[in-house]
Amino acid sequence: MSKIVVLGAGIAGHVAASHLRRKLSKEHEVVVVSPNGNYQWIPSNIWVGIGRMKPKDILFPLAPLYAKKHIDYKQAKAVSFHPEGDSEENKPYILAEYVTGDQKGTQERVTYDYLINATGPKLNFEATEGLSPGKNKAHSVCTYTHAQEAWIALEGLIKQMKEGKKVRILIGTGHAKSTCQGAAFEYILNVEQELRRHKVRDMAEITWISNEYNLGDFGMDGMLMSYGSNIMKSSEMVEMIFEDRGIKWILGAGVSKVEDGVAHYETLDGSYKKESYDFAMLIPSFSGHGFKAYDRSGDDITDKLFRGFMIVDADYTPKPYEEWSVQDWPETYQNPSYSNIFAPGIAFAPPHSISKPRKSKNGTDITPAPPRTGMPSGITAKLVADNIIEMIKHSNDELHHKGSMGNMGAACIASAGFGMTTGSGVSITTYPIVPDYNKYPDTHGRKLGKTFGTIGLAGHWLKLALHYAFIYKAKMKPFWWLIPE
Amino acid sequence: MTRRISKYKRFMMMNPIIQFFKFIYLSIKVLIVVAGGHGGTRNA
Repeated sequence: MSKIVVLGAGIAGHVAASHLRRKLSKEHEVVVVSPNGNYQWIPSNIWVGIGRMKPKDILFPLAPLYAKKHIDYKQAKAVSFHPEGDSEENKPYILAEYVTGDQKGTQERVTYDYLINATGPKLNFEATEGLSPGKNKAHSVCTYTHAQEAWIALEGLIKQMKEGKKVRILIGTGHAKSTCQGAAFEYILNVEQELRRHKVRDMAEITWISNEYNLGDFGMDGMLMSYGSNIMKSSEMVEMIFEDRGIKWILGAGVSKVEDGVAHYETLDGSYKKESYDFAMLIPSFSGHGFKAYDRSGDDITDKLFRGFMIVDADYTPKPYEEWSVQDWPETYQNPSYSNIFAPGIAFAPPHSISKPRKSKNGTDITPAPPRTGMPSGITAKLVADNIIEMIKHSNDELHHKGSMGNMGAACIASAGFGMTTGSGVSITTYPIVPDYNKYPDTHGRKLGKTFGTIGLAGHWLKLALHYAFIYKAKMKPFWWLIPE
Repeated sequence: MTRRISKYKRFMMMNPIIQFFKFIYLSIKVLIVVAGGHGGTRNA
């Protein structure tokens, strides 16, 4: 009998737990430890942020589902890692602290045979002075509660615009090293469409602010893509959309400080500027959770497990951009020091960014961090689960399931406006996610045909269909496993 | 605001009948990219 502990119940954690439970007999124990009581389908947060969906539409409680599916669930947060056990406990364990109910505040040693760290990112608002959801007129759509607050503020602003007030809206990244530009891109287009729907578009100046060097970088160094019968750069496509929608943009901007209605930022040319706004949605930087790890004798071994995020089978040797390769990226998400610990999704430490790193003249890094959200999270979680299942069933340590982001496709169905007949979506697929310049030297490291973009109503329908399909899948309803990650 | 998408293109993008077929095409194409497999890179 084996016991697998999954930390986190987001996209990666929930996918891993679901597949483990389905494929392993009941004699094996699957335990989920997560401080969040609800599963939320994060890609739909942007629709909560424009008031077109309610939080209840994108979440469901985990406890009843896990009870029904025989998954042990502890609503607790991980405190520290003890991969060798200690003098009192022979088995490896994590120290978890309950966050709700009668047990709130009590700590428990949760032992394991295999550990999946799917804790995702810490939303590091503190890294930008004054940036906090709902403060200084700046908001976030990173969680459904943040998105709900953003909508309340935006709704109030729309009322003021109807009364004749001209406003400035700023949307983008809130730190020099933020990622998730895609979410901000979706949100700015949805906000723009909502203003048109409310007939107040001419009352607002909408500006995109981003740490990207070019539009359409998305933390993936941009893309060269098929667009109809043409070949187009993602920067050209996003520029076309923004110009058509009357959206201004500021690029290469590292937001460093937010005051009431003012964002201060540094640009790559070394100048310090500020942008005023009446409503902002700024994505914070992501960081690891700051977990500590200890060996059997209680000595700190955090460096063996973490470098911000969790260390996995990546090549972390520092090297210049010109020498980066897809081989640097992990394949199995296994920690090299402890073979029974894995970190899929956002929890693994990337070897470096995907976009070309750039510094301002003052030495500030202004580079998008690499995205690992959504689809890559699901795929990497499933392959980790499959490897653990094989290790348990065949009692060997060989890992047959591999999935490097340098050999994996991704789809980004970005909403550009909500509505069954008036909505729109920007559908982009990329293969591979990390560009392979050796394999595809003439097409910016990507395979054309599998890297394509298109704009239109069908994109909105697809995004909506995926919303329902993935919530169905997450609820583990009949034949849920037929829906790919 | 600068018009960068022509009226014809916009009609194509927003016509529900055309977009219905585009939806089917897009779903299949996305499925091929997404479910088309993944693997390692070091022994390739």
